[in-house]
Amino acid sequence: MNESDTLPVPRGHASRGIALWRHWSVPLIWLALLLALTFGMSQLEALLRLIEPDTRQVLYQRTSLATLLGQHVFVVAVASVLAIVLGVGGAIAVTRPAGRDFLPLVAQVASIGQTFPPVAVLALAVPALGFGTLPIIVALLLYGLLPIVRNTLAGLSGIDPGVHEAARGMGMTRGQILRQVELPLAAPVIFAGIRTSVTINIATAAIGATVGASNLGDPIISGIVNGNTAYIVQGALLIGLLAITVDSTFERLLWRPMTG
Amino acid sequence: MIELFDVTKRFGSETAVDGISLRVEKGEFCALVGTSGCGKSTTLRMINRLIEHSEGEIHLDGQPVRSFNEELLRRRIGYVIQNTGLFPHWTVARNIGLVPRLLKWPRGKIQARTDELLGLLGLPREEFADKYPHQLSGGQAQRVGVARALAADPEILLMDEPFGALDPITRQTLQRELQDLQARLNKTVVFVTHDMDEALALADRLVVMHQGRIVQQGRPIDLLHDPVDAFVESLLGGMDRGLKEASLTCVSERMAPFGPRLLASERIPYRAPLSQALSVMLWHRVERLTVVDDEDIPIGELSLRRLLGAKPS
Amino acid sequence: MTTERCSPNWVLLCLMSAGLLAWLTLEAVSIAPNRLVAGTPHRAHEVHGWWAALLAGLPMLGVMVLAWRPGTRRLQAALALVVGLLVAMPLWLATAVMALADPDIPQARLGIGASLWLLLFLWLLVLIELRTRLNLSRAFGWLLLLPVVFAWWLSLSFWLEPLALYREYQGRSDQFASAIAYHLTLVGAAVGASLLLGIVLALCMRRYAGMRKAGFGLLNVVQTIPSLALFGLLLAPLAWLSARFDWLASMGVSGIGWAPAWLALVGYSLLPMVRNTYVALEGVAPAVIESARGMGMSRRQTFLQVRLPLALPVVLEGVRITTVQAIGLTAVAALIGAGGLGTFIFQGLGQAAMDLVLLGALPIIGLALVADALLGALAERLRHGGTP
Repeated sequence: MNESDTLPVPRGHASRGIALWRHWSVPLIWLALLLALTFGMSQLEALLRLIEPDTRQVLYQRTSLATLLGQHVFVVAVASVLAIVLGVGGAIAVTRPAGRDFLPLVAQVASIGQTFPPVAVLALAVPALGFGTLPIIVALLLYGLLPIVRNTLAGLSGIDPGVHEAARGMGMTRGQILRQVELPLAAPVIFAGIRTSVTINIATAAIGATVGASNLGDPIISGIVNGNTAYIVQGALLIGLLAITVDSTFERLLWRPMTG
Repeated sequence: MIELFDVTKRFGSETAVDGISLRVEKGEFCALVGTSGCGKSTTLRMINRLIEHSEGEIHLDGQPVRSFNEELLRRRIGYVIQNTGLFPHWTVARNIGLVPRLLKWPRGKIQARTDELLGLLGLPREEFADKYPHQLSGGQAQRVGVARALAADPEILLMDEPFGALDPITRQTLQRELQDLQARLNKTVVFVTHDMDEALALADRLVVMHQGRIVQQGRPIDLLHDPVDAFVESLLGGMDRGLKEASLTCVSERMAPFGPRLLASERIPYRAPLSQALSVMLWHRVERLTVVDDEDIPIGELSLRRLLGAKPS
Repeated sequence: MTTERCSPNWVLLCLMSAGLLAWLTLEAVSIAPNRLVAGTPHRAHEVHGWWAALLAGLPMLGVMVLAWRPGTRRLQAALALVVGLLVAMPLWLATAVMALADPDIPQARLGIGASLWLLLFLWLLVLIELRTRLNLSRAFGWLLLLPVVFAWWLSLSFWLEPLALYREYQGRSDQFASAIAYHLTLVGAAVGASLLLGIVLALCMRRYAGMRKAGFGLLNVVQTIPSLALFGLLLAPLAWLSARFDWLASMGVSGIGWAPAWLALVGYSLLPMVRNTYVALEGVAPAVIESARGMGMSRRQTFLQVRLPLALPVVLEGVRITTVQAIGLTAVAALIGAGGLGTFIFQGLGQAAMDLVLLGALPIIGLALVADALLGALAERLRHGGTP
């Protein structure tokens, strides 16, 4: 399909701006809501008071919400970037002739591993690595690898063998085939894997608050411990908004019409 | 010129191609025919080194193929496969320009060449250049496949059942177009097919393969007359061979000048094959046809007796 | 490709050399006088001496030798060796207990060290690799684990009492059993409810296109919200409801406990369930439906006798995904007091008692794997045989 059929990007500057806005409006609105709540939670004190009328303190103030959001994003981003590099790289490596021996094992492990609940993986990371941010990053990285590896393998093996044959027959080098044919064709599937991975990571990172990482899970955990529902609501709202913002961003990224 | 000297290919303990020797002259159209699994595709793919041969030598213009860098070798050889193998994420124009781009032609030259090929294959540029492969019909996609193979003007064209997935009508159209193209471009073509009619219609030389060996090769007409064994005979159509032979001969070759009698009412173009003339006679229950030229002007007549083989002297 | 068949199996070689290295360099066990004190680590050769450690490494070396020129026979032999190794691990632990345990300290605890965990992991990978290379069925793979399970059971019941994990279990064996039961009940209730609701929703979506779009949109958003946040967000309204309506409170509905957990689990389960049911029903080949109608089957007969049975394997796939997901999410629900195996994990994390964490995490993984295998096998069977 021609790009202009689905994505209205016509001539003038103004209309291009409108098209861009139309394309990105949903994630931007979620982002705005997320930031507004992060920095303006105190404005909602009266509302939160309704939930928890008897408690003295309804605003979570142990650490600023902005810091918690920042740490949450940081942990997820580091783990996800590493997972993308290792996962896509690994999947490419085992589909090349040199690494093909490892393909069956890696494919099996990626599919069996996804049955492991992320909480359990997080819990196992603690005895192995201790409390704090590092074990969470490692756990997120390990777990986040699986959907990426799996989808990259699926994307690469889903390419019509005729296309591969033709690419070789036309005299493309291995590198050219990978960059110009295999990766572009597998990209939508790979991105879907990354999206799954990041979504899971955001959720699992929040649970990481129980093993000593400080992030948006903190208000929830401390709300549960102290029986303060207002804290829980603040944390839950922000995590929910963060997840939706990121997910809708991915949705827009993937929405670009793929041809073929 | 392509030469194979005693070439063998083994996959594990299986021998796919067993010591074959073959020589395809420059400008010759050579068809490899045989049942599936006879090694014809393997043979083809050894020429551009998609498969490396186990033993023997393969030469292009006197030089062993192994002496070339394999990617550079393939860029010099056009290659067309059954499922087109067009890149689904590229436009038609970009697909056609693939090899020129690999060869780092300047942009303007690639564009000009793409336009030229689109014209050559009857795909109007305005309509097709920016389409994606999934928007094309099977026949159009295969035309693009052929255009892509011809893009860098290779001397050699390898075609692996290029029309195998098309419906009979489209297939015939494309066969005719390929014939015209070959008449104009005069490439060295190696064409793999299991369709004997296709091979007979297109090839200057027929190579029949069976179980990894070449059982017979030669001009189509010679093979029809002299099949070396029962396998070749059955492949050539057994009792249908007469019609096949008739399809190789042109009406003009058997046509006689006007006789004393009235013009026959049924007409046949002088370039039509004899098989078609026979069909017209059968259909209208007549023994005589009027032969006409391209402008539908009578130029002679064809009788059943002459058609059956009283050769023109 | 004779040459390739004879080339070494690098996967096995890599895994096994990593295993040997871990065995000889990392700590195998640790022993602590009681629950509070950190244990003293012991490497394999510090338990029974170098000779014994090297001797125990021989089977691994054997697998490597067999992997050098892997024919079917050799791989089968390697498989036997690996199963043997897996069986030997608990027995070796038993000997370690005898060698290290001080009879004067009856409370002593034996912790499993990094090298044994790593070996367990690597050997299981080897098992998977061999199963794939030998083209063995999944069921056979599970069968291979039977002697291993038996060996662990035997060792635990006779010799491995000081194993820290086992001590934790003994301390709360009743709790453990009820936690598993509760965990499964919650998962079952959530999956069951979402199956019913999912089928109803999918049928409605087939009829009303508008509902399809809105429904999938909403379920997608729910699926995106992190579990901890969803549990939290359900907490406030449920607490409010139970405070307003006594009958709800008397049913046990409150802001914490099973109610928000169950609701959230159903919410998460709906997307995969509805999507799979919908896709399954839509995915039946039109030609089949057409021919059923052409033979004179009524709409109802076509649906019940043709469309539904053909869709069933894909629906079951939805049940499988949902169940595995729910087993994991229920663990998180322990944070809001829903009980189940997650309780052990979070208690253990709270007390820095790692063996307690394992007592929660390992069964959860086990349950997920077993549920996955069983439901997967059932779907496979339905796909091939039509009806079981």
